[in-house]
Amino acid sequence: MSDAGTTLNRKGNASATLVEMCSVRLAQTLFGVPITHILEIVGAARPQPVPLAPAFVGGLVHYRGDVLTTVSLRQVLGLPPRDGPQDILVLESSGGCFGLLVDSVGEVLTVSSDDYEPNPSILDERRRALFAGAYKLKESLLVKLDPERLDPQQLSAAQAA
Amino acid sequence: MALDELTREFLIESQEGLDRMERCLTDLEERPKDAGLIGDIFRSVHTIKGTTGFLGFKRLEKLAHAGENLLGQLREGKLVADGPAITGLLKLLDGLRSILKAIEVEGSEGEGEDAELIGLMEALQAPAKVQVKQAVRVRAGTRHVPASSDESRPAKAALPAPPTSSSSIAPAQEPIESVSQPVSAPAAQAPVEAEADAAKPRTQATAVGTAAESTLRVDVTVLNRMMNLVGELVLTRNQVLQATAADPNMTLLSRRLDMVTADLRETVMKARMQPVSNVFSKMPRIVRDLSQSLGRRVRLQLEGQDTELDKSLLEAIKDPLTHAVRNSLDHGIELPETRQEAGKDPEGVLKLRASQEGSHVVIEVSDDGAGIAVEKIRQKAIERGLITPQRAAHLAERELLQLIFVPGFSTAAAVTNVSGRGVGMDVVRTNVEKIGGKVEIDSRTGKGTTLRMRIPLTLAIIPALIVRSLSQSFALPQGALSELVHVPPEQAAAAIEWMEGAPLYRLRGKLLPLVFLDRLLMPGGDHKPSTERENFIAVLDADGRRFGLVVDGLADPEEIVVKPLSAVLKDIGLYSGATVLGNADLALILDPGLIAARAGVTMSAGEEQAHAVEGETDAEAAKKLEYLLVEAAGRQAAVPLADVLRIEQLPLSRIEYIGYRPVLNFEGQLLPVEDSGGVLAPIEDKSDRQIIVVVCREGNRHVGIAVSHVLDVAAGGDLFEAGTSQRTGGVTLLKDRVTGVVDLGGVAPLPMVQNAPGAWSELAEAVR
Repeated sequence: MSDAGTTLNRKGNASATLVEMCSVRLAQTLFGVPITHILEIVGAARPQPVPLAPAFVGGLVHYRGDVLTTVSLRQVLGLPPRDGPQDILVLESSGGCFGLLVDSVGEVLTVSSDDYEPNPSILDERRRALFAGAYKLKESLLVKLDPERLDPQQLSAAQAA
Repeated sequence: MALDELTREFLIESQEGLDRMERCLTDLEERPKDAGLIGDIFRSVHTIKGTTGFLGFKRLEKLAHAGENLLGQLREGKLVADGPAITGLLKLLDGLRSILKAIEVEGSEGEGEDAELIGLMEALQAPAKVQVKQAVRVRAGTRHVPASSDESRPAKAALPAPPTSSSSIAPAQEPIESVSQPVSAPAAQAPVEAEADAAKPRTQATAVGTAAESTLRVDVTVLNRMMNLVGELVLTRNQVLQATAADPNMTLLSRRLDMVTADLRETVMKARMQPVSNVFSKMPRIVRDLSQSLGRRVRLQLEGQDTELDKSLLEAIKDPLTHAVRNSLDHGIELPETRQEAGKDPEGVLKLRASQEGSHVVIEVSDDGAGIAVEKIRQKAIERGLITPQRAAHLAERELLQLIFVPGFSTAAAVTNVSGRGVGMDVVRTNVEKIGGKVEIDSRTGKGTTLRMRIPLTLAIIPALIVRSLSQSFALPQGALSELVHVPPEQAAAAIEWMEGAPLYRLRGKLLPLVFLDRLLMPGGDHKPSTERENFIAVLDADGRRFGLVVDGLADPEEIVVKPLSAVLKDIGLYSGATVLGNADLALILDPGLIAARAGVTMSAGEEQAHAVEGETDAEAAKKLEYLLVEAAGRQAAVPLADVLRIEQLPLSRIEYIGYRPVLNFEGQLLPVEDSGGVLAPIEDKSDRQIIVVVCREGNRHVGIAVSHVLDVAAGGDLFEAGTSQRTGGVTLLKDRVTGVVDLGGVAPLPMVQNAPGAWSELAEAVR
């Protein structure tokens, strides 16, 4: 990842807290998930599709003796599906564990809370519900993903509404 | 409220002690002189008292002490364990239990006075002993003795101090002290129990007895975790077995792994097993209390108490079982007078029986009571609009009985009065079905009723058939699978019939609705027609709804470990879970019931029965008949299965002829062989082909029937009664269109049996 080295944008503010985010690139956007919410990263997985499941379900994977439901980030964002193996971030939310299916996981970036800004108002409604604001990096924006908002239960409730 | 380790230990131990006490008390009623039983009860109460002493549960100690005094008298033989005494002790038991409960929930004994109960304990001793404070005791006695004989009054009512008791507390407490004096003296002479307080821990150990030495208490969560891990191991083993199948060196090792895994699984499962006596032992008390309050006389028989069942399942059947027992007492067994009038023993018998049948445990609750008035069910069902009068008139007794499980049927007192049973029967069924079990009921008017629950041994690991569809694997639980039919592409056009868009298959003459799994899972997709691919029909029975699930392929059956699905996927309403297969693939577990519902195979009980009635003029008679379907010279015929002794495949050359009549020299006996189908006719180039002879019983002779194929065994009638009496298809179809179903003495198409008597005499002469 070319912008990996340009992460830190500290302004020397003493009250700023540093957050470690696992970066994920999907299409043009750089996303980040706080590593405190990540249980494990499973590489090169091929989830088993579930017929008749809601579209956002990326399939099932076997994870430590349990069967894990995955959410396809591509599907959620309305991007075309991708062939081939994908990486899975095993996330913990209040509803339990689930997998987030992404193209590939990048490195862990340390960002400062000083650089955080909430979702812009011009963002479309669906994305506004999914994203939890963004961190301003030197060369790009890092969109923060909140496991709670991506929880399958949550998504299905949002879909029903 | 968090409890310290010591208190928790004390609670568990005390509860076990009280359970034992309860069992002993009900036994004691039958054998009031049994010193061993009294000793056991005494020990239970004494242990509680001893331990409370240093845990500081004063209220509990006081109550246990009062009970101990009474028990001491019983033990010395100064008192006889009569009805009131046992009732009193049972109340004591309830009292102790409720305090223990309070400790468990709140961490303290709670407020409340047990003066009334303590008074009762004393009053029960009164006739035998202690004249010291006669006046006080008489007061206590007159107040409380009536309560003990008044059985309908709930025992617990005596516990929370009623406002009036405040006056009796003071006098009631005093005598305890004085009574304790004489009683504790003899107790001290007792060999084991009455050592000094300091020795109490040892006393407990001896009280628990030999069982404690060979057993160990394990937290259920640990066991659950172990079960999960074993499940994982089973999966890994499956994968190893598949991966190493080709390598001869590894085969031996993986075989060993296989065996060890199987043993380990069994052992862990066994660790979770508990004898049904854990649940059965609650019943004597319930039966006792209930029969007294209902004025019944009931003898309870327990059988198969050592049958074991998974702990979680055992918990799950506790309620349904209690319900069934209550029902039997309330509505099954009649009042003694009524029984006498009917010429029965005034004492009714309620039998609880547990036994293992394969992978199921069967628990039966049977009584010799009045049975269920089927006619009244019929009326009620019509009244409630569950069935039409026309249908009702045709329904067989068994089918009518099943109606008591229909939810709408079992509400309100109306049913209690009407059917004599049925209060909450749907609850019994729901609870049992929730754990994968089944409930059946059988009743004969005037003779009694039997409720049968079939409970699977375990839930976590089930045998399943792996099927393929949409180039994915799915697991079908074997429990619902009754058979498999293969329809190759070239036969599909003829075998799968369409009725205005509804695919059907004639399974032994009955129309079986088909569900194509691929079309169900991917509606609107581009699916190959059945004439261009292999079709495997898995015939499923989902709670009496029979249908065929058409899949593209079959893999081996596997023992699968059921993994729960997330709520989102469960909500789809097709899958009951997921599993990891031997090839490391994930497979979704299909739920036959949900598939049936989704595909519209939803025959309501009414419809089903109507269906059955239309097809069958005499359900009773047809039900008994099962046929062997045979084919001779292109024609199908049926032989009553009950008459079939064996089926022999043998070369044509074995058939010999006596005159024109073919016979078979079979193990030194001559068997006349009928061949109206011309199966035995010589065919060029195939002089020694194999033929099949069905050996049947006809009267007290045996006859052989030569056929070209044995097709199957077909049931005429409700082979699939399955507790719901639901069945599909009619016998008419079987009779009229597919085969002429005939019995051995019947007519076409194989009327050979009619000739047999003649043939036999001819044969006998020829042999002579």
